[in-house]
Amino acid sequence: MKNLLFILLLSVVLPCSVSASEAASGPRRIVSLSPSTTEILYAMGLGDRIVGVTNYCDYPEEAKRKPKIGGMSNPSLEAVVTLKPDIVVLTKDGNPKEFEELLHSLRIRTVVFFSRRVSELPGGIRQLGSALQAEEGAEKLAGKIERDLQRLEAASRRASGASRQKVLFIVWPEPLIVAGPGTAIDDAITLLGDRNIAASAASTYPKYSLEEAIRQAPDVIAIGKGSGMDMVEVSRGLISRMTSVPAVRYNKVCYLGDGLYRLGPRIVPGIEELAQCLERKSPR
Amino acid sequence: MSRAKIAALILIPLLIVLASLFLGPRSINPLALDGVEREILLNIRLPRVLVAFLMGAALGASGAVLQGVLRNPLADPYILGISSGASLTAALGIIGGLTFLGAFTVPVLAFIGALATGSIVGVMGWKRGGLWPERLLLAGVGLSFLFSALLMLMMSISTDEGLRRAMLWIFGDLSLSEWKRVPYGLGFVLAGIVLSATRAKALNALILGDEFAYSLGFAPHRERFILFVSVGLMTAASVSLGGMIGFIGLLMPHIMRFFIGSDSRMLIPASALGGGALLCIADLISRSLLPPMELPAGVITAIIGAPYFLYLLRRKDVLSI
Repeated sequence: MKNLLFILLLSVVLPCSVSASEAASGPRRIVSLSPSTTEILYAMGLGDRIVGVTNYCDYPEEAKRKPKIGGMSNPSLEAVVTLKPDIVVLTKDGNPKEFEELLHSLRIRTVVFFSRRVSELPGGIRQLGSALQAEEGAEKLAGKIERDLQRLEAASRRASGASRQKVLFIVWPEPLIVAGPGTAIDDAITLLGDRNIAASAASTYPKYSLEEAIRQAPDVIAIGKGSGMDMVEVSRGLISRMTSVPAVRYNKVCYLGDGLYRLGPRIVPGIEELAQCLERKSPR
Repeated sequence: MSRAKIAALILIPLLIVLASLFLGPRSINPLALDGVEREILLNIRLPRVLVAFLMGAALGASGAVLQGVLRNPLADPYILGISSGASLTAALGIIGGLTFLGAFTVPVLAFIGALATGSIVGVMGWKRGGLWPERLLLAGVGLSFLFSALLMLMMSISTDEGLRRAMLWIFGDLSLSEWKRVPYGLGFVLAGIVLSATRAKALNALILGDEFAYSLGFAPHRERFILFVSVGLMTAASVSLGGMIGFIGLLMPHIMRFFIGSDSRMLIPASALGGGALLCIADLISRSLLPPMELPAGVITAIIGAPYFLYLLRRKDVLSI
């Protein structure tokens, strides 16, 4: 009986260990600790190597079916360790620094995705690529994003000589939280040749003064997507209090997706969506 | 009380209200208004200052009443768990993204939470035909712990984004003040202040003990019940107008006692005026410190109020409830 059990056990363990030793190159078991790195890893073609993601990793669709390890700011160490990762991908801003140290103390390799700004994205992807020994996929993705960004900038309003519009990007209407300086959203607005009126605020996502938002008279208001909420409904009260600003008067208020919230491959469609919003002609 | 003190009690808050109406990171000159400035003054600043004053007044007055009812200098309107109950239901609405009543969803949820908690505390504190101070206090503290724990639980499983919004609300958020909120806020707060001020004589007697109050012709349980209801109304209205504001409910009554003594007939209106003025100043500072960013006013009330209170504490030598 004991022998039988042993053989049974062996037959379960053996195939796994063989496939692990067969690993051609690079870490086979990756845990991603943020939605944006999850998206990048998928876009680099490493989807089948991902063994764990955060509870908020919802793109692409397959990511939802991966084992979950908790939130970004409070990942579960046990859940990560149980997945026996070869490497854990963290982000500089989203994950606690202490968590990386905990992983190191358990001799688990980590790589930190450092990019915060749109211009840093290709570099960050290449760095991930070399840490994961997936340079080819990383180069393909980074190169494509670089070309797309150049194309978008070349087609921007600034390039066409149009005057700069004043833009307010609302992350949440009540209380009014907007995209400030140092965010990918601010970069996207600048890249498209317009000006973020909250660019002078003191933090990245400030709680913004409604009074100042009215004084600055934005030409365009873009409202980002909140998780699973009807933003048109949620924003109704705020918009009704801003009827005097040009954006509301000339109906240049648009509701966008979540592409710009994640510094990953979907930043390009995110910028394209914003570009469409900024281009919309105001009725004369 | 001297006439000068009464004049100061009315004039200083009035000046503060005017200052917070016209000053700020950008001051408004009422004599030279353009269209945008008129809109900002009438539709943003005026309702905001009114809401701030109402919230602060409600907290100051309820603090003064509650410290007397509970015969405890450490009592404040939040100690009864009313605010944690309100925070819990409000956070439920904020994190869950509920919008069934439009912009009123969160305030109404908070108000319901506050009233429900107040009623539970009342039921818990009720024994042998009346409310008992110690029972009320302990029931409030117990419920506070329960609700804070549930709130933490909800926050730890929410998204980071929902968490931040809930935190901003809980720390006190005056940026949501609109005209729509003023009438019901005014109604409840004024009702509470008038109700408690008319019972102020009874409160004076209650502070000295139930037997004493009884011998003066007051029914202690009945008076305590009325005062408790008035505190519940004011606190619920205040929390639902703009979240939790620390310090005012606990320490504004003490600051006022230093100046005008502990006669509740004066103390209740004075604490209301002082509380309203302090929150207006705090909001003015929170708007002006890092423009165009706004800081939570509830943090500022304690930062400017606490040192002043400690200074008074050091200088005066008589303390009383």
